[in-house]
Amino acid sequence: MTEQDMSAGTADERCCGAPEDTDSTEAGVRLERIYHYLDGALSRSEIDEVRSHLEACPDCAEDYDLECIIRTVVRRSCVERAPDGLKVTIMERISAIRVEAGHRTD
Amino acid sequence: MNNLPNPAADGNQRARSVVAQDMTITAEAATGTRVDSPVMEDREVTAEDAEDREDSAHVDVATETDAQRRLRFERDAMQYVDQLYSAALRMTRNPQDAEDLVQEAYTKAYSAFHQYRPGTNLKAWLYRILTNTYINIYRKRQRQPQQANTEQVEDWQMAQAAEHTSTGLRSAEAEALDHLPDSDIKDALQQIPEEFRLAVYFSDVEGFAYKEIAQILDIPIGTVMSRLHRGRKLLRGLLTDYARERGFRKQEADA
Repeated sequence: MTEQDMSAGTADERCCGAPEDTDSTEAGVRLERIYHYLDGALSRSEIDEVRSHLEACPDCAEDYDLECIIRTVVRRSCVERAPDGLKVTIMERISAIRVEAGHRTD
Repeated sequence: MNNLPNPAADGNQRARSVVAQDMTITAEAATGTRVDSPVMEDREVTAEDAEDREDSAHVDVATETDAQRRLRFERDAMQYVDQLYSAALRMTRNPQDAEDLVQEAYTKAYSAFHQYRPGTNLKAWLYRILTNTYINIYRKRQRQPQQANTEQVEDWQMAQAAEHTSTGLRSAEAEALDHLPDSDIKDALQQIPEEFRLAVYFSDVEGFAYKEIAQILDIPIGTVMSRLHRGRKLLRGLLTDYARERGFRKQEADA
């Protein structure tokens, strides 16, 4: 890590340092904040705080961008279509359950 | 659906026709994709579709008939088959097991459908059943070796992730990530220890809130947050590695 990185890190820590126990490194704290922001887990005032910080801090803005891209590509890659027969098979199995239940109540 | 004739509006139908104030389920059902389905025997209920949607949150599960329950299940639960199958693929890692898992989960869900409280989060309820079914049946069978090494993998990857965030030139990195093929993304996901992977999947792919994930996985919210944090950092590190292998080093040099 270069000296320049270190000083940038200190500034970040001061700006968005909300201590969390998950990862106490400065990068971890920064990311945690960004995760919560993207997860919709922050209060209105915290959201404003993060938003104005992202405008002022290029490092956090880059992390934010990267996280957005990751989520986008993960979501994109995980969209699957169930095999054609699956829904029919499920409904057939369910119908069998209904018949059994019907026999019991009769 | 409202303009369909309704020859079978008998006493039974009227009795169920309670005014619905809670629109949570209704809105979801209205925007959700309708599922292609085998022909149903109970056409008179289908003709009442629009009304049924409004009844969803107020259905009397104790008195509904098997036919009504089956129709309600098909209408409300079957729209999530594709999504549950996608999740199952991330769990079992192969299409045949994923298909079996989804079948099994839906069968269990239907058997327990009278326990589901209408108006609550059906999607989360289904995911919980899917997850439990997976844990009870498939995971025992698979016995994934990486489970035992969670801490090790994590430490190693954490160091990598931290290193990556301090390299600078992240525009190139971001660019390369954006162009990764789906197969790389899936590989990366599969490499994350399962408890982290599921949390990340439920949050970032399915968009569940912390509280919902806590319910699905039956763990405290704090644990959800820590698994998400760790899982995402692992994923970030792995994806950056893939991006690097695919040549964003070269882009860096060119820049």
